[in-house]
Amino acid sequence: MLKLFREVLKVGTATLPYPFEPIEQMPGFRGKPHHDPEKCIACAACATACPPNALNITTDLDQGVQTWSLFMGRCIYCGRCEEVCPTGAIMLSPDFELAVMNKQDLFERADYRLATCRLCGNYFAPVKEIEYVSALLRQSNIPEDELNNTLSMLEVCPACKRKNDVPKTVNLFQEEGSDVH
Amino acid sequence: MFIDKPTSQLVAEKSKYAIQLDEQAAQLKGQLLKDIQRSIYVYRIDCGGCNGCEIEIFAALTPLFDVERFGIKVVSSPRHADVLVYTGSMTRSMRVPAMRAYHAAPDPKICVAYGACGCSGGIFHDLYCVWGGADKFIPIDVYIPGCPPTPAATVYGFAMALGMLGQKMKTTHHIQGDDERALLPHPKVPLALRVDVDREARRMAGYLYGNQIAEKFMEIFESDPKHVEQNVQSYLDGQNDPRLTEIMDRLVQIHLNQGEK
Repeated sequence: MLKLFREVLKVGTATLPYPFEPIEQMPGFRGKPHHDPEKCIACAACATACPPNALNITTDLDQGVQTWSLFMGRCIYCGRCEEVCPTGAIMLSPDFELAVMNKQDLFERADYRLATCRLCGNYFAPVKEIEYVSALLRQSNIPEDELNNTLSMLEVCPACKRKNDVPKTVNLFQEEGSDVH
Repeated sequence: MFIDKPTSQLVAEKSKYAIQLDEQAAQLKGQLLKDIQRSIYVYRIDCGGCNGCEIEIFAALTPLFDVERFGIKVVSSPRHADVLVYTGSMTRSMRVPAMRAYHAAPDPKICVAYGACGCSGGIFHDLYCVWGGADKFIPIDVYIPGCPPTPAATVYGFAMALGMLGQKMKTTHHIQGDDERALLPHPKVPLALRVDVDREARRMAGYLYGNQIAEKFMEIFESDPKHVEQNVQSYLDGQNDPRLTEIMDRLVQIHLNQGEK
């Protein structure tokens, strides 16, 4: 009996004091995805990668708003969003205390403005995404005239690009004298 | 692809079979949620989960987390239960057993949606046989998200239901500011080098550690672009990690090759 008590005293308390004291998480623990709305460019890479559709991107072409939303109740903490995010806006934090009494508190939302096409005036892509891409192009070492050409095409929507490209391609073929059909 | 539904609609969406609490039951429940501090009996209903949640619930009962110190006890009949814990994505065939358990438990009772599946259907939310979460027809009081929730998250959820701890999560709505823009990471590092270093580090070590290693390399590069090789070497000497050395050497090689061009 005394031997047992000695053993118990030697081992001490195994139970963690949580929730009365904070608990330490292991490095690499995947908790709540932390979204930095300032860094986000609303490119929808995370929404495409998200296996359970916890991350959603909805585009309102009438109002010109791209909405990023995260539903924590569906997240499986796989870290795919962190893997694909080009700007590091989403990082999995060690935060695990996510229980709520009200389901609405599980939602996070961010609204981003869409840019209008230079030619047709329709909304087509987030302003921040276009700004980010143009900053990347400026940083890369492509020749001046090529850079200006590419930058001017950044503000054109895909539909207008197609419309412009078809006559150009036809002209190119005709100049070469080959058969377009 | 994406589900084109506004978030408010996702919250409001409930099945037409949803159980409505009458006034007396709602009042009793409110009182219970406010005053419950004593031991509670928990009954667990698996409505089509993968058993991950059950493993974590039983991990919370082990001596390490020991939820029985709060008087929380898992019972084997809903007739003894104060708290019903719904796990699993609520499949079509588990709908009726889930409802029977709800009606078998004495009033007032607290219902907990446990895990990503219990909260919303989780990764199974769009399967043909899945109703998508217990709250489609059971009046849920506490949502414990996680896939599965860790024992610590379970303890937190129950401590919150017992009124011992407050809620930390809050809904947020960010609206883009006027001069808000995303800054380029490491503007001093040439784009071609940044992209190649990032790709190689991720290829060798995966996205998480690859990113960390690439960030470290970029930090060394930015501090002194002329002596990258020496500075990386002195950093590696302090780390004494052959895997890190291998990857960092590759990154330095990429940097040297680009310099030659």
